[in-house]
Amino acid sequence: MRSSVFWSLVRKDVYLMRGFMGAMMIVGLVSLVLMALGRVGFAVGGILFLTANVAGAIFIALTILFGERKDRSRVFALSLPVSGHQYDMAKLLAGYLSFGIPWLVLTAAALGMFLLPPREHLGMLVYTLVLQGFVLALFSVSLSAMFVITSEAMSGMVILATNICFSLFMVTLNQPGTADPLRGTQVVWTTFAQRMVAGEVLAIALALAFNVFVTSRKRDYL
Amino acid sequence: MNTAASTDAFAMQGVRKSFRHFQLEGLNLQLPLGQIMGLVGPNGAGKSTTIRLLMGLIAPEAGSIEVLGHPMQEDAAAAKRDVAFVSDDMSLFSTATLAWHMRFVASIYPDWDEVYARQLLKRFNLRTDQWVGKLSRGEHVKSMLLLALARRPRLLVLDEPTSGLDPVARHELLTELMQIVRDDARSILFSSHNTVDVERISDQIAFIDRGRLVDARDKESFLDRWRRLSIDVPSGVTLPQLSDVVDLSLGERLATLTTDNYLPQLHAQLERTGAQVREVQRMSLEEIFVACVMRSRAGEPS
Repeated sequence: MRSSVFWSLVRKDVYLMRGFMGAMMIVGLVSLVLMALGRVGFAVGGILFLTANVAGAIFIALTILFGERKDRSRVFALSLPVSGHQYDMAKLLAGYLSFGIPWLVLTAAALGMFLLPPREHLGMLVYTLVLQGFVLALFSVSLSAMFVITSEAMSGMVILATNICFSLFMVTLNQPGTADPLRGTQVVWTTFAQRMVAGEVLAIALALAFNVFVTSRKRDYL
Repeated sequence: MNTAASTDAFAMQGVRKSFRHFQLEGLNLQLPLGQIMGLVGPNGAGKSTTIRLLMGLIAPEAGSIEVLGHPMQEDAAAAKRDVAFVSDDMSLFSTATLAWHMRFVASIYPDWDEVYARQLLKRFNLRTDQWVGKLSRGEHVKSMLLLALARRPRLLVLDEPTSGLDPVARHELLTELMQIVRDDARSILFSSHNTVDVERISDQIAFIDRGRLVDARDKESFLDRWRRLSIDVPSGVTLPQLSDVVDLSLGERLATLTTDNYLPQLHAQLERTGAQVREVQRMSLEEIFVACVMRSRAGEPS
């Protein structure tokens, strides 16, 4: 083989996802600029930033697995000299790269914004990390679900569940007692923030382990 | 298992696969290198399941599958290295162009033949700059065939390849397939409803029905052995018990007998009883296929 088929499949997925990745980054970066333009701009930009992240997570998790199954290009990919397990692992890695690259850019840009002078809201660094960690965990769980579901109806349920989870998370995060210390001028790792980040890391690890377990037992790929 | 030592393009032994409403039972099928096998069966017979098993897309519950000397279950990547697969149920990536697909496939296969790919582009009248999602069904099928043929595979597996093609494109494809096996190290397995296509290019033919292999042998053997005889049967004459009779329909004075093992001695056997053979017809592959399937179904427990 000229190049590893595994890496060819990963590159292929990232290439095919380039439009979504670009759109997610553009919308996210524009929203950060809006957030710097006063109170209204901050509110509008904040909503746009969340939308870019959450919509990107759902869309990439859904499209990278379900899209290929739905349009039957999966059969073409599986006809290449690769085992079914390698194909699934390539999908997993491509999914994390396709979402992870724009996620990382947006997270770094958001953190950078709060680190820039006059650095009045350093507390938002923790808030941003908790928020973006939750989005990444949500993406990981959605991607895991997409590995096992086979119907469009079930994928709709995953989207619905993702939205509900995110709404509940935002309500919790923005409770006055929880949010206030995270919006101050100093970096404060509250117990809530520490528990949230630990929970997010655990959810990502469990989702990855679930993927590896499920794909190692799979025998039929159509 | 060593590829060089294998004389079969593929071999399936005792393969079984069950679904909720369908079962493929104890399938034994093999194709020698350098030959074309046509897999013929009605809808839902198990053709696509057989091909999916062969390509490792689904796993058998029992039996073994070897492709070019490699066990498919244990070493799918090696088994598929010299195999190209095109299916009616397959699609390319809709948001990429054919040019991108050509680069993608060329990056994987060292034997990719760019000159041949350009020839096929011209012959199939395809444009490389169009998004695959915008192609017509026929153009899509031709694009998949181009990507399969230009990688110069040792085994080409085609599931209903001519479906969606106009007659001219179908003719071009079949001519192309016959060109490929001029190199006697290359083999083709293709499934089709179209027995005319199968009869035109196959060396080997396998009939499949309701998840069972009904018959498999070389094409000439099928065409040489199967005959339909029209026989005058005068009143008072009873036809003898004959072996190898697949079907016998008796009219008032005329009988039609179908045999799968025609020998000239049959005439003498019949004429000794006073019957007269009026006509002996060669049967088309389609007629043979239908007769085979009907015989197989008649023998099934109800």
